[in-house]
Amino acid sequence: MKTRPTLPASLRNPMAGALSRRQMMGGMAAGLAAAGMPMSARAQAEQIALLTWDAYADPRLLDMWRETTGNGARYEIHISDPTSVNRLRAGETDVWNFINLNNPWARQVLWPEGLIYDLPRDRFEPLYAQMFEKFAMPYDWALSQDGEHLLGVVQRFETFDFVVNSDVIAPATAKDEGWDLFNNPDFANRYGILAYEDWNVMDICMGAGIHPYKPKTEADYAKFEETARRWINNAKLITTDFVQLNLAMLNGEIDLYFTGGTYTASSARAEGATNIYAITPNSGPADGKGGINWIELNSAVANPQGKEATLDFLEWITTPDAAEIVARGNGNLQPVSQMAQDEVLGRFSADELNAIQWDEFDERIANAVEFDIVPDYDRLYDIYSAAIRDRG
Amino acid sequence: MKQRAGYLFMAPVALFLLVGFATPIFIVGWYSLIEPRTFELTSDLTLANYRAAFTEGYGGPFYWSILGAFATVATCALLAWPTAKMLHARAGRGAAIVTGLIAVPIFVSESVRLFGLSLFLMPGGGILAGSLKALFGVSIGTVLNTKIAVWLGLVYVHFPFMLFPLLLGVALIPQDRIDAARDLGASRWQVLREIELPLALPGLAIGALLTFVLCIGANAEAAILGGQAVTVVTRAIEQRFSYAQDWPMGAALTMLVTLVTALVVFPVLSRIDLNRLIRR
Repeated sequence: MKTRPTLPASLRNPMAGALSRRQMMGGMAAGLAAAGMPMSARAQAEQIALLTWDAYADPRLLDMWRETTGNGARYEIHISDPTSVNRLRAGETDVWNFINLNNPWARQVLWPEGLIYDLPRDRFEPLYAQMFEKFAMPYDWALSQDGEHLLGVVQRFETFDFVVNSDVIAPATAKDEGWDLFNNPDFANRYGILAYEDWNVMDICMGAGIHPYKPKTEADYAKFEETARRWINNAKLITTDFVQLNLAMLNGEIDLYFTGGTYTASSARAEGATNIYAITPNSGPADGKGGINWIELNSAVANPQGKEATLDFLEWITTPDAAEIVARGNGNLQPVSQMAQDEVLGRFSADELNAIQWDEFDERIANAVEFDIVPDYDRLYDIYSAAIRDRG
Repeated sequence: MKQRAGYLFMAPVALFLLVGFATPIFIVGWYSLIEPRTFELTSDLTLANYRAAFTEGYGGPFYWSILGAFATVATCALLAWPTAKMLHARAGRGAAIVTGLIAVPIFVSESVRLFGLSLFLMPGGGILAGSLKALFGVSIGTVLNTKIAVWLGLVYVHFPFMLFPLLLGVALIPQDRIDAARDLGASRWQVLREIELPLALPGLAIGALLTFVLCIGANAEAAILGGQAVTVVTRAIEQRFSYAQDWPMGAALTMLVTLVTALVVFPVLSRIDLNRLIRR
């Protein structure tokens, strides 16, 4: 993906403007401390709670946030997007401050249901000018449906489809064959499934020749069920641990697995196992595309307690130092929107860029449809989970 | 006066059980009776979730969980009996070290132990297969990602829960009874069947119950070692609570697992003289 021109320092680092605010907060803290208020009490008051995917739970990120601002942060890692959405719906808006979800939820559910705050546009829109062209404002996924409200800050993104052992299956062949690789009887019992189950449902749609984000006909459901049962029964192993799948691939137990992408392959590739290769199909049933591109949107939960600290956090995570940690979050390497800046991209070595297959990142994004909410997900998931139960 | 003091002493535990055990069970029970995929506790009650539990393919997960629990109890009992006898007979002579070696893994996370076993069993570069290949040039397959691996993992994790109660049970067998039986001409089999097993039964039963209850709620073995070769009932419950967001169905399955456990545990528990086990 091409980098964008480097922006003026004041715009490049949003906290440069906010630095005075931090300094002022620090000064206030010092004043309060001098007046006898314990620092721990101040830190307690500024504590924010993150409901998030793993990168934002990285202790290096939270330590840096603590050191930079004096604010604490606690976190819980999601099980799935809908689970966390339902937790907010169930009243946990007074528990959390920051929520990090895939792109459709803020626009289609969280904002209409009053579960998140909108962000001050004058403060946050300039951050989008520091990202790749794809995210240039007006960027729909970050805006309310009427286009009036900014709902979050984009950061991590990639395509998430399947992974092959490139020593066994040539990447070019895998891209051309796409999801039909899993329909090929030659690969029965030679692939694994990473049980990120909502993703598995979308992948099986793709393999069944169905657009995952469009309403389904009865014929589509029948095709989905046939494909789900065949794919699940023909899988060598099903696990929630992608390291196990990568090891199985290195040990020759399997040749490919779904669901997977840079997120699951990059750490192994960075350690030298470059035959673990993330694939986005060249084509498929989703408006001609076979890949799925997720984009995480970071939003402020509608919780008045800690609101200002949360806005500071949302701004701070886009600074080069923080964005770099997010890109390396939890030991993985993951593209972030701030890699449009030379200052951020330059922090990654050639080997690291090879680990995230940076040279073909543009192509993968171009071949992918953007992640969305699956219509009739409940019915599809029930078919999928029944097939899992019948497997053994 | 004495009776009142007894109630007072009992009150904190009773309160704890009421808040920490009875109330959650009541809430789960209530959830199991509301419409599938709803969260409204005040809606009309229905048995739809229980009907679905019997008609929508949950028999398999129940079967595998119950079979796995019984198979593990039987295997652990067979392994633990000679171990307990040996440890009891050699008490003070290295037995403490062996006991410690068996006990220490309990303090390590179950997932970590299972991942360790997974690395051991892995084909190709796994510790067992890789070592045999490197040292002796022998290539072997693997049981990883099979039902056997699930059973191995269950036995590996739960063996101490059978062994330690059984050690207590074995300690209840007076040596003079065994000597008397032998003097009267009893065979080894008769001594085992008519003297040792009946006397050690409370320990064996407690160990079996602990192992059974833990195994019926086990999920990690099938997930980490079994590659989901089987779907156990806790996995099916987890799916309903998480990805399906169908708490009522998950709650109904949970109540059924609780019922199955109770049907096994209470009859056995009613036959155990706990006072005898703790030598009162």
